[in-house]
Amino acid sequence: MVARSSGDSWRDAAGVGAQATALLERITPLVRADAEAWEDALAELHATTGGDLEKRNDALERKLDDAAAVPILIADTGADAASLAELAADRGEGAYRADAAVAAVLAAAGARAASHLVRVNLGVREGDARLARARRSADAAADAAARALDAAG
Amino acid sequence: MREVTETLSDSQLVQRCRAGDPEAWNELVERFSRYVYAICVQGFRLREQDAEDVFQEVFTRVYSRLDTLRDDSAVRPWIAQLTRRLCLDTLASSARVQPAEEVLAPSTEQTLDEIDEAFAVREAVTTLSESCQEVLDRFFARDESYRTISAGLDLPAGTIASRISRCLVQLRERLEGRNEGSTPSSE
Repeated sequence: MVARSSGDSWRDAAGVGAQATALLERITPLVRADAEAWEDALAELHATTGGDLEKRNDALERKLDDAAAVPILIADTGADAASLAELAADRGEGAYRADAAVAAVLAAAGARAASHLVRVNLGVREGDARLARARRSADAAADAAARALDAAG
Repeated sequence: MREVTETLSDSQLVQRCRAGDPEAWNELVERFSRYVYAICVQGFRLREQDAEDVFQEVFTRVYSRLDTLRDDSAVRPWIAQLTRRLCLDTLASSARVQPAEEVLAPSTEQTLDEIDEAFAVREAVTTLSESCQEVLDRFFARDESYRTISAGLDLPAGTIASRISRCLVQLRERLEGRNEGSTPSSE
């Protein structure tokens, strides 16, 4: 919205709008995939019917790995959305800069939430590379949101 | 040799084909094969065998009728028109009921427009600088994050979104330039 409203005053506005659309198309299926992957993992966790315990544990671990992959991508995309919103808060049309800053804050919240899901819900331990990546994204998003708020004034 | 022909404009390529340059013919088929196939399969949803038959027939006709093309720069829409006609003929002969024109549903028209647009964008992207092609491909085609792009190209992460925007501005200028003209002019 900020990019669309800044077309006359900001040469890169359309390009920022196109990137925002691409990020939206990227994140939408991830949200659904996240829910499905988590439900699969839960179903495996609650499966109590017979079979080899070791095999069931292996299967559960694989499901949790799959489930961890999605929030990592959500965190990455949240970081990108926050970075793009920061750009809009800095260069966009004055009247809409506050909206861009709010978008950056919301994107950062999404990235932080996804990083939290990786750590808590999926049983990933400290030192895990996937957790480190999700945290880097969440931190980058938070930094971008702080700069966006500064830029919007 | 291929490196030379692949940098030619459509118009230059047609001229080389007319002059009987076999390398130019190879390039022409290479350049438009995915386009023709996309129209057959995505636009008209032809079966694989039918799509291959149409594909063969399109390039046979292009080869035998290139002299009838009045505007060399309009070779793409001309090939599109040939392909569409042959797809309609194929559909009509398999349905054996309706006249060919009635087979074309509105959704097919929309898909064909989207295919045209996608190939026009793809073609315009190839006219951009290597760095723009790389950054646009990584973000829009490979879905890479800004951080991944930044690491891959050794660029500051905070500049990636701006770079992409500037490249998109250039792309739009190329597309606007391209759209001045280019309509089918034969048959």
